[in-house]
Amino acid sequence: MTTSIIHINKKFGSFQALKDVNLTVKDGEFLAILGPSGCGKTTLLRLLAGFESPTDGTIQIDNKKAATAKKVIPPERRNVSMVFQSFALWPHLNVREHVQFAMKYHRFVGPAFKEKKKAEERIDEVLKIVGLEQFGSRMPGELSGGQKQRVSLARAIAPEPQLLLMDEPLSNLDAELRIEMRHEIQKLHRLTKASILYVTHDQGEALAMADRIVVMNAGKIEQIGTPEQIYNQPKTPFVAKFVGKANLFEGTWDGSTFMHKNVSVTWEDCGISENLKEQNLYALRPEQIRLSTSDESQIRGTVVTKQFQGKEYQYVVDVSGQEIVVDLPLHEQFEIGEGVGIVPRM
Amino acid sequence: MSAISSGFFNRKLYKVLAIGLIIIFFIIPIIRLIIMSFLSDEGINFDYYHAILTDGRTWQVLQNTLIVVVGSTIISLILGTAFAWMVAYTDIRMKGIVQLFIFLPFIIPSYITSLAWVQFFGPAGLLTKMLDQLPSWNLYSMSGIIFVMGISHFPLVYLFTVNVFRKIPREMELAARISGASRWTAFSKIVFPMALPGVVGGSFIAFLGGLDNFGIPAFLGTPANISVLSTYIYQKVIGFGPSAFNEAAVLSVILGVIAIIGISLQWILLRKSKPIETTKLDYSPRYHLGKKKLIAEILIWLFFAMTSIFPFISMVMTSFLNAYGLDFVPENFSLKNYAYILSRNSTVESIFTSLKLAGVTTVIGIIVGTIFSYYRVRKPNVTMRLQEYAITIPYALPGMVLALAMIFAWMEPIPGWNPGIYGSTAILYIAYVTRFLILQVRSGITAFQQVDKEVEEAARINGTNGFGKWKRIMIPLIAPGVLSGAMLVFLSALTELTVSSLLYSSNAETIGVAILSFQQSGYTLYSTAFSSLIVGLIIVGYFLLFASGALRKRKVENGK
Repeated sequence: MTTSIIHINKKFGSFQALKDVNLTVKDGEFLAILGPSGCGKTTLLRLLAGFESPTDGTIQIDNKKAATAKKVIPPERRNVSMVFQSFALWPHLNVREHVQFAMKYHRFVGPAFKEKKKAEERIDEVLKIVGLEQFGSRMPGELSGGQKQRVSLARAIAPEPQLLLMDEPLSNLDAELRIEMRHEIQKLHRLTKASILYVTHDQGEALAMADRIVVMNAGKIEQIGTPEQIYNQPKTPFVAKFVGKANLFEGTWDGSTFMHKNVSVTWEDCGISENLKEQNLYALRPEQIRLSTSDESQIRGTVVTKQFQGKEYQYVVDVSGQEIVVDLPLHEQFEIGEGVGIVPRM
Repeated sequence: MSAISSGFFNRKLYKVLAIGLIIIFFIIPIIRLIIMSFLSDEGINFDYYHAILTDGRTWQVLQNTLIVVVGSTIISLILGTAFAWMVAYTDIRMKGIVQLFIFLPFIIPSYITSLAWVQFFGPAGLLTKMLDQLPSWNLYSMSGIIFVMGISHFPLVYLFTVNVFRKIPREMELAARISGASRWTAFSKIVFPMALPGVVGGSFIAFLGGLDNFGIPAFLGTPANISVLSTYIYQKVIGFGPSAFNEAAVLSVILGVIAIIGISLQWILLRKSKPIETTKLDYSPRYHLGKKKLIAEILIWLFFAMTSIFPFISMVMTSFLNAYGLDFVPENFSLKNYAYILSRNSTVESIFTSLKLAGVTTVIGIIVGTIFSYYRVRKPNVTMRLQEYAITIPYALPGMVLALAMIFAWMEPIPGWNPGIYGSTAILYIAYVTRFLILQVRSGITAFQQVDKEVEEAARINGTNGFGKWKRIMIPLIAPGVLSGAMLVFLSALTELTVSSLLYSSNAETIGVAILSFQQSGYTLYSTAFSSLIVGLIIVGYFLLFASGALRKRKVENGK
């Protein structure tokens, strides 16, 4: 089943939340939508679920029109399921009843599960998949954050929906649990073979789990690509900064040579995307830079801060007002106040 | 959202229907009241305003009203803030029971409290009989009205203030202390100003409650010929002069305007105040009173003994007396007062009338109020807000004003056509539903606000937006809030006096009217017996409710 978003616009009053968004979620694909808060990613997800209606454009789920500006199929009649940011557990139902509810009311539960015994078997199976087989009679108030998330996942996957929507499902968990749940969600994806649309503001989550990433900013899609493409070849300054935390340098491109704007220093291309070249930019992520004290033929600056990160040191270097972030291995040490040259690692 | 094209037309129709009903039931009565105050034989003019405002009696009544309302509000303000501070911040014991006693005036109607006070402090009262040398306090006076009203309304100030106190982070005070402030300076300069929105809000509600109150001045003022606006309007209407209705309408407009000024002032003040950002309530004590704890506790319980426990004991004892004024000794006690009131058809019927009124009002409230509050929470827009304001009007306005507006609106719903609504119980049903609907709406709104939007959406995404969602998810989640609102509506309607004193029909008195007429005819023993009976019924009702609640809770726990 594919899901297509065609020329979608969404306005809330005079605020344009989505501007002409086009996107296709392929069958069985894990697609992450990545962007800062307020970029429209949650609005997009809620449009797919049916909780919002588009101002303009069409949404097609499984080749059927799910939403236009005039007609919207409500969420309860779509073959989708959703994991909510707040988990949205029902405080008065126990774990098993959550999954039971989905099996009873979801309208796309396969005919194989219509029989009560089969449905109960499916509930057992799902609880086992998420590791909650011992917790069926627990109430939501008696569960930890991670267990709540598992209930939310179990409820969403039980009816075997063809499209699973996830709205920042890990943002309410602590750091360690988040890493653990990444593996769980990946496993679930392999097991269910459903298409997953995963909304997040954490580039680590998107890079780790997704088959493709859609980077959004201010209601528009900035770039669509595999995690490697997004990270290594950002097409816009926003993607370079948001995903790779890259430093951007202004200048002019001449073939594969980059000339800096105010200093007569040239750098060779290290794999900059054509789009950035057209905008006369050179992007370097913190780990793509080395510092040198000897080389005089480089752009120069002064070390402003130095922070120990465990595996490396992070430096901020002031280059005529621009702050350049540099990550260096432990053996390449510099001190605050030291004059250094910025050199791309080739 | 989810505008299915086929349902679109219906939805619009319902919306228009709802707005139409709200205009008919909530807006038009007020408009007709205003028109009535200007309407004389010669058309629209200021004749009645002129007559009322040049009458010296009007100014006397206005002065009484202001003294009573301001005086009682000051008492409520001091008591409410003091109790809120003690319950929120100190380590006094038995806070649960203290709170129960604070809320007693919410449960027991103020006219019964007035009656109880007279039986305790009055010339033939228990206190005077026990302590001969003590001069009795004539409660049939301004001071009597002010004190009973102050005691009856201080829970409002308490209710508004106690959680504001709890919400103020204790670091605020600690920061003041570390900057060199003494305890008192920290309280007066930091804590109290932060609690001011609650204190002010509660005081304005107490002020409005004072304007609205009819029971206390009717019981304590009428025998001493002291009138306030609410009782004066009542006397005008039942006096049946040639221009009684018009003059009452003018007085109602004046009373209504004072109330609206009060509401607007409160609204402006609360708007200006900055809400405290924390939403967490801090229940642990901040002041350990040490040795002073016992003194504080003794003072608190002495207060409750003097204001509630002994007055009610006196009332119950009086109700058993063979004749009024006899000593409280066993040989003077009998059940004859109870036998009399229970043998009278009209008193027994008044209980059934009030039960029926309260029951129907509650059921209609639950249905209409819950549906309305759902749309108010999920689709908050300007029209919904305006509709909520309209529903608030009959409760915000003094009951006497509403009662008069109801007469004008329903005597002849269409000029020239009298379907007999006024003069039958029908007008009481209409008046009660319009007056108390907002209580159900407010509790419904609170209940729905506590159900996270995503919790409801989770039901929809799992395939149900109708029966399944409501039966399995929404109703179980909102039920406690909705039912506690319904309880409030039921109790308010059951013991209501003000509105029914004007609207009752001779064949259907309410409980409040029955007690009032006993009292006004001088049958103190019957009125105390009837009041004791009602208080007893209320206590039994509450006990049953708590028992069933506890039982249900145990069942749930066993089920785990």
